[in-house]
Amino acid sequence: MTTKKKILLIDDDKDFLFATKLILEKGGYEVFMAEDGKAGVEMWKSVSPDLAIIDMMMETWGEGFSVLNKIRATDTGKNTPLFMLSAVDLQGPYQSFEPPAEFPKVNKVLQKPVKAEDLLSYIAQELGG
Amino acid sequence: MNAKSQKPLILIIDDEEALRDGCRQALEKSGYTVLTAGEGVEGIKIAREQIPDMAFVDLKMPNISGMEIIDILSRDIPDMVLIMITGYASIVSAVEAMQKGAYDYLPKPFTPDQLRALTRRGLDHRNLRIETRRLREEKERMEKSFITFVSHEMRSPLVVIRQYIESLKAIAGDRFDKDVTEIIERCSKRIQGLEEMIEHWLDLSRIEDGTLAQKKDPLNLSSIIARSTEEMAPVCRKKGISLETNIPENLPEISGDEESLVRVFTNIIGNATKYTPAGGKITVSAQHDEYYVTASISDTGTGIPQDKLPFIFEPFFRVKGKDEKHRGSGLGLTFCKKIVESHNGVIEVSSREGEGTIFLLKFPAQIPAAKRATGAVS
Repeated sequence: MTTKKKILLIDDDKDFLFATKLILEKGGYEVFMAEDGKAGVEMWKSVSPDLAIIDMMMETWGEGFSVLNKIRATDTGKNTPLFMLSAVDLQGPYQSFEPPAEFPKVNKVLQKPVKAEDLLSYIAQELGG
Repeated sequence: MNAKSQKPLILIIDDEEALRDGCRQALEKSGYTVLTAGEGVEGIKIAREQIPDMAFVDLKMPNISGMEIIDILSRDIPDMVLIMITGYASIVSAVEAMQKGAYDYLPKPFTPDQLRALTRRGLDHRNLRIETRRLREEKERMEKSFITFVSHEMRSPLVVIRQYIESLKAIAGDRFDKDVTEIIERCSKRIQGLEEMIEHWLDLSRIEDGTLAQKKDPLNLSSIIARSTEEMAPVCRKKGISLETNIPENLPEISGDEESLVRVFTNIIGNATKYTPAGGKITVSAQHDEYYVTASISDTGTGIPQDKLPFIFEPFFRVKGKDEKHRGSGLGLTFCKKIVESHNGVIEVSSREGEGTIFLLKFPAQIPAAKRATGAVS
């Protein structure tokens, strides 16, 4: 049996964490959770996950971006796939998130709620099934 | 602006020295601070520097007339209460002064008591006016933050519930029988509907505070219609409704916000698909004259009863007796109307039951720069 791939979830909503964890575990991943940005960055360093999913809007609006920056600044975080989560309507033109040119790479922006099959297939694309 | 603890500041502008002094004494006795000016230019200068709470202005003076002073000061310092002093108690000049922004007039001769009574009344009026404005601003501010707060606080639990439903399907979906799956789907749909309602409600408040549809780009309605019909084509195909466009070339440009207009068209076309049976047709066409570009969206659907037509743009109004699956947020057409109106346009609807419905959207055409420059449009 191969070891499970590790996914780190960072979101300040406990229920969202739990619901998403269930989906990811069903998909065969080992899931780690952090409820705020600081804990998320620390867990990133100690766990070295294969992928992380970060909420854009936690305590403050920019919190998710600052977490993203800190993770990308670590050795293991340079090329690891990172997803961002948003409850803001990204389809709509009015709050479209346009990262600045020098912004660290986001592999995928997901809109809450995420369909289970979509979430698992995006992750599979990044981690190779 | 005077601090509340300070004595009210009254300005007297009159060219008669005796009258100025009389007023000063009468008002100072009652605890007011009094400034005086012998003519208009000086009076306006003092008013602008000291911002009095109230000013008495004589109608008939050399140089600037009292009427002009009132006209200037009522625009300069809207909170200042202005009283016209007039030697001839002519109704005509009193009315004119009040039209220009005076609160009242005081006919000569007047007694100190009359002066003090009017001063008291004027200051009361001023305080009320300021308080009213403060309350109105407070109310607007609260409404705005209330809407934003409630929407965000309401959305997150709904998002989480839908995420739970997703996880429920993921971990146990294959064990559910058909009924359970259907119940879960229905719950999910209703929650999604609630989310949309909140989203649309937010949009409406964004239109009102001007953060939505604020662009004023030159736009061609034909590209907006093309985008909208492209977006709605899959829905129509699925329902077996044909979607046709009939757009003349060289439509004049209009001015506005492309994204919100696309939403207006997709919204109305989306509505049409809900009430048009399979085999029906939706036609989007456009025409123009020198001043307006008019788009129409017509369907061959069930139509809207005449007595319901006047209300369809009202928030949460729904044409009853329709299939439950048609339930939308109840704010779609309200959104459309507000967006069209924010483009200085007009939206109209006409309908016949059993035959179909036509929406007309009329926008002012942008006058081409070349034409405007030569003054060819008169």
